Amino acid sequence: MNLNNIPFNVGAWLGGTGPESDIVISSRIRLARNIAEFPFLSRATPKERGKLERLIRKTLVDAELASDLNYVTLPPLSPVDRLYLVERHLISREHAFGKGPRGVGLGANETISIMVNEEDHLRIQGLRSGFQLRGTWETVDEADTRIEQDLDYAFHPQFGYLTVCPTNVGTGMRASVMLHLPALVMTRQIDKVFQAVSKINLAVRGLYGEGTQASGDFYQISNQPTLGKSELEIIENIERVIPKIIEYERTVRESLIEQRREVVEDKVWRAYGMLQTARTINSEETMDLLSAVRMGVNLKIINDVKISTVNELFILTQPAHLQKIERSELNSPERDITRATFIRNRLATGGNGNGKRANRDGGAASGVSDHEA
Amino acid sequence: MKCQTCGEAEATVHLTDVSNNEKREVHLCEECAQEQQVTIKSYLNKQPDGEKPQQIEFLAQLVQSQTENFPDDKELTCPRCGTTYKMFRASGKFGCPNDYTVFKQGLVNLLEKIHGKVQHAGKVPLRAGDQIERQRQLRALRADLERAIQGEAYEKAAEIRDQIYEIEDRKS
Repeated sequence: MNLNNIPFNVGAWLGGTGPESDIVISSRIRLARNIAEFPFLSRATPKERGKLERLIRKTLVDAELASDLNYVTLPPLSPVDRLYLVERHLISREHAFGKGPRGVGLGANETISIMVNEEDHLRIQGLRSGFQLRGTWETVDEADTRIEQDLDYAFHPQFGYLTVCPTNVGTGMRASVMLHLPALVMTRQIDKVFQAVSKINLAVRGLYGEGTQASGDFYQISNQPTLGKSELEIIENIERVIPKIIEYERTVRESLIEQRREVVEDKVWRAYGMLQTARTINSEETMDLLSAVRMGVNLKIINDVKISTVNELFILTQPAHLQKIERSELNSPERDITRATFIRNRLATGGNGNGKRANRDGGAASGVSDHEA
Repeated sequence: MKCQTCGEAEATVHLTDVSNNEKREVHLCEECAQEQQVTIKSYLNKQPDGEKPQQIEFLAQLVQSQTENFPDDKELTCPRCGTTYKMFRASGKFGCPNDYTVFKQGLVNLLEKIHGKVQHAGKVPLRAGDQIERQRQLRALRADLERAIQGEAYEKAAEIRDQIYEIEDRKS
């Protein structure tokens, strides 16, 4: 399938509509599964990898999963297309630039993606906007149960679902919630959160999970143990903690406004001003400025930008997205210019997101949704 | 610093092992470390899914400390995929589902340290669920059979025997 056929606006999970979506960006659940009769990918021959990929692909395509799956084979894709899927959180970086036959099944609205031949044979991932782990679990559970009718999963009565790495065995489940915590970062309270969270067996990671750095004040909180608790118990454990972190972030925001209103407003308005006027801007600075603007919108300091516009900009201003929008390969300085133009145009449309005005002006990257092939 | 084992080469592998609340520091050269199956380096190079470096190090030390008294006179090898226990220790990755059975002895301690628990409590595949249920029934019936024979209730024993046959037939 042609990746240009994927609708060019961002996935439903970035809509900024779910519960607590001022602070919780998204909820994600992934299940690791392996097929019983095959070796794990760590020991599979190229022939076995190929056989596995064909078998799972056929199963996924035939299964008629409720979410209307599109299967994408990864090796033929250009690096930009692969990175594009990473930027949308549909596949991991390792999967994008891994070796051998592998692919990903993408559900409508990007609420589900099923990686084939990643570290494990199958990685079933659900993604939703805001704080809704349970709904995400239901989607993933349903897909998993459907796939299980056709494939024999590697399962052990004591150890549960068997995985390549012993850190995933049991439920094979990683549930994570992505949080936007600018006030806790500003006031250097974030370390306290990390310490508290790690005491109750939860892990904190950066924007793209697994060993990545936090940028734009985004953090992912996820379960560490996968064995010995049921999926719902793991979810409940996270559900107990997240509201406390949300509360903490809100309290700090309020006290910032009370005690240092000018400082906060200054940070927000300067960030907004920079984004509206910059002529060249790199990813990192974009993330930082968007983070401040996002907080400003949530605190009603800025009133003419929609939160969904800001959420989308986080995704659409990344390197591969810019190149897809421009339909050409861009080097880093070129991307910085394109990025600045794109952000200016998007913000100038008042955040209504259709980019029509920018299009008429003949602006470079704009009107993303008009870009279907 | 010289290697504690050979005393010749420069020590480049520095290990802190904590067992029974006792901290022990070990300094080895690359070669001796490899001989003693110290595998920190490969752990750091191949980070298993989801771990930060310090956690990997922690995990590697765990694997080391938890598997020390594991029988290494005969090299344990999975007959299905050829993965040895040494290979698992070096990479932190299993080669096939059967490894979990072959390496079970050393694994339970490790899983206990990672997860705090060693018995799965979550979802069960429908097929495996059937099988587990069948095994449970068989165990119960065999116990009944034993009791019936001891009590010389042969008619009942024959009935139970037929039930066992029936369940075993379903399996095949």
